[in-house]
Amino acid sequence: MIIDSQALTLRVAAIDRLSPDLAAVHLVAADGARLPPAAPGAHITLSLPLPVAARPLRNSYTLVAADPETGYRLVIRRAARSRGGSQFIHDRLAPGDLISATMPHNLFALHSQAKKHLLIGGGIGVTPLIAFLARLRATGARFELHQIAAPADLPVFAQLIDPRAGEPVHIHPGRAGFALEALLRAQPLGTHVYCCGPAGLMDAVEATAARLGWPASHVHREDFGAAGGEPFTLRLASDDRTIAVAADQTMLEALEAAGIDAPSLCRGGACGVCLMPVREGQPEHRDHYLGEDERREGRCVMPCVSRSRSPVLVLDI
Amino acid sequence: MTAATPSNRPHYHPLRPDSAARAHLLVTDRAALDPSALADGVSAEQFGEVWVVAGHVHTLPRPFGESGVQAFRSVSHLLTMLGHRLAAETMGLRLYAAGIEPFVWDVAGVARAAGMGREEIHLFAHGPALRRVSCVHCRTILPAVTTSVVACTGCGAMLGVRDHFSRVHNAWMGVQVDAEEPGDVPAAEELA
Amino acid sequence: MTTLFKPDETFRDDYRYANSEAAILRFPFPFGEDGYMYGVNMEPHAPDRSDGAFVAAFDVDEHYVAECAERAEALALEPGRCIVLPHMREAQWDTLELIMESLAADYPDHFALTRSGDDWHWINRPLGIDQPFRFGDETTLPHPPFEYIVRQAQGDFTLQDQRDGTLYIDGGIATTPADWSIAFDVGMTFHEWHGPVPLAHQAGVFDRALQYLMRVRYGHPVRRLNWTMTINPRLDTSPENYPIWGPDRASLTPATIGSKLFLRVELQTFHRLPRSNALLFGIRTYLASIDDLTRVPKWGRRLHRVIRDLHPDIAGYKGLTRYREMLIAHLAKFDDGAITSPGIGPDLTTLGT
Repeated sequence: MIIDSQALTLRVAAIDRLSPDLAAVHLVAADGARLPPAAPGAHITLSLPLPVAARPLRNSYTLVAADPETGYRLVIRRAARSRGGSQFIHDRLAPGDLISATMPHNLFALHSQAKKHLLIGGGIGVTPLIAFLARLRATGARFELHQIAAPADLPVFAQLIDPRAGEPVHIHPGRAGFALEALLRAQPLGTHVYCCGPAGLMDAVEATAARLGWPASHVHREDFGAAGGEPFTLRLASDDRTIAVAADQTMLEALEAAGIDAPSLCRGGACGVCLMPVREGQPEHRDHYLGEDERREGRCVMPCVSRSRSPVLVLDI
Repeated sequence: MTAATPSNRPHYHPLRPDSAARAHLLVTDRAALDPSALADGVSAEQFGEVWVVAGHVHTLPRPFGESGVQAFRSVSHLLTMLGHRLAAETMGLRLYAAGIEPFVWDVAGVARAAGMGREEIHLFAHGPALRRVSCVHCRTILPAVTTSVVACTGCGAMLGVRDHFSRVHNAWMGVQVDAEEPGDVPAAEELA
Repeated sequence: MTTLFKPDETFRDDYRYANSEAAILRFPFPFGEDGYMYGVNMEPHAPDRSDGAFVAAFDVDEHYVAECAERAEALALEPGRCIVLPHMREAQWDTLELIMESLAADYPDHFALTRSGDDWHWINRPLGIDQPFRFGDETTLPHPPFEYIVRQAQGDFTLQDQRDGTLYIDGGIATTPADWSIAFDVGMTFHEWHGPVPLAHQAGVFDRALQYLMRVRYGHPVRRLNWTMTINPRLDTSPENYPIWGPDRASLTPATIGSKLFLRVELQTFHRLPRSNALLFGIRTYLASIDDLTRVPKWGRRLHRVIRDLHPDIAGYKGLTRYREMLIAHLAKFDDGAITSPGIGPDLTTLGT
């Protein structure tokens, strides 16, 4: 069967309040069917129907656990400053609610050739590391985990990580006691390091590893991907028609929704079929087709993946 | 086989120490490092540690971390010691190999087994033009082929060496050259 | 859809093989215009016709039973044609799950899969298989999981591990290869595996294709068509057995070229595997003779033009050089110069004689 649906419809099975600002959400298929399995490190993107928003807010969350029959588990921190997604989940989401989600997608996978996996987490960045732990324990792989947690969160993280006797798992109260450079310096040849947490922590791991001579291919950080962007306006030169391109919509999707006949093939920026001429505005190129000169000149664009730096982009169609 | 087929052949560059590395180890298959293996302006001393093959049994190297030149009894001896050395190493090492093509890829194999990635290993193949060939029909390895056409020592097929190299097997693919018209074997040429 | 299987067909030795009219009309003719050059011709693998070779995730046609028997024979002679490196263990089970789920959903008359936790029950009626087993437990299947399921699917498959900014071919089965060896190629990167292909590297085709493939998402498979030619309906055109099939290339005559020369089309599919995050590359192979194809007027015209104007390096790489002129002369009879419609469809619903 070719699965051509874009979304899963999930039902909230339970919400566990782990602490005042940490909630574990258990999701199952709304129709009771099996859910797709997922590799450790995968995430799903939920469409959250915020009460006063015109369109649902799309937020990505790591799958802490994913089982086709028992369902998915997310752990979500209430963020003080946000677009409202985590607040919605903490304050308004309830068991029985239905929620739309994408298929699982993985941009932060374990490396198959690693002799040892070094996991470094900060705060809610622990979530993919928990998923990694389950796989590493099951396969008997060599690993070491360091989690930095605010002192108030220590008991919750200890419960989530659930270290077994003798396991090289360390939960640090705050960053002060965490000796990053000494840790990286001591790692045997063949170690891969995976970091998830605040940007400052991930940047520090990357920079320290590089300084110690680690090759970039052995350093991994969580990344939810750069899909979507700022909304902008398209104008068609032939009839001055304007088309709004929303933040979570591609230029090609907006053209198609407006009834424009826009040829396409791969829909992934590689084949060149959807190429369109640009008359005004600055394209933001995200394709793999155009050469350096073409990008700089900005006189054409691939609408299936690329966007606009300028508020208005005029296509010569 | 058509003459000008493009290939996946490896490209070799004279060696230069990687400035991002914590430490360097350079190994070669002969008694002294050939100067052609080093990039312009680079000296062996810049690598810190250099392993060579002295080729006699009274050699007693110290393979664990001494700077300068260490001599090993044979290529096999060097490769075995390299495996032990890498198992005791920490991240930040770069490994460099200079020698005939089959040797440098044997070194790459030891490094790969130790978990090193491609950017941590730098190879420079030089010396007599020869290729290690795997007969695709019978899987016999011909360790040092110097001509464009060669008889397989396993099954007797006249093999042309296809421009297709496996880093994992450390071999070029040998395919029967007269399969379409038996007996129509092109003249063997020396490899450049 | 009822399929009439032809279990007595063979793809070696006596070559008992023929395409029914229905098989000819659903043949994935690879040329959408009157010329051919390499490009990144990938598109979503979504059903785009009510019938035909692109509807199912893994197409099953009238040759299914015979092809599975051919695979069993090839593996009995050369077990090394199926290799999976140890770190691809998750990908093996992913492949088994994907193919079983797909076959059961696309062909409910032929296949059934029932599951309760890890206790699975697989039924394959055309092959007479009734197999209860535990998902994840290799000891409950007669073969390792990847080999087990590909023995029940048409076409070759490779498992690609995604790491270090590229794809590594870390496993696969090649019993119907167009002149490549899984034993030799295992462990190669995407660019290394495609090493011997002319022209495409300079045009950046492989760089773009790789970027595209690394972004393939679970639930959104993609596909492309590739083609070459084979003498006799021989599936196993491996380098290993080149001494056996190679001489056929010199055996064509103007009298036999129509019946003995086959267009070999690969419907290549790419599926993201969920538990391993690996990519499953399917190489579903279709064979139609020149006589078969020229029963479709559009295809006869177009094939003549494509072969006549093909870049010599591409012709050489695809092994056509020896008989190319003879083929062009034969196909010229079917090309009256009329305009051909864009797209690959036959523009017919039934065949003339």
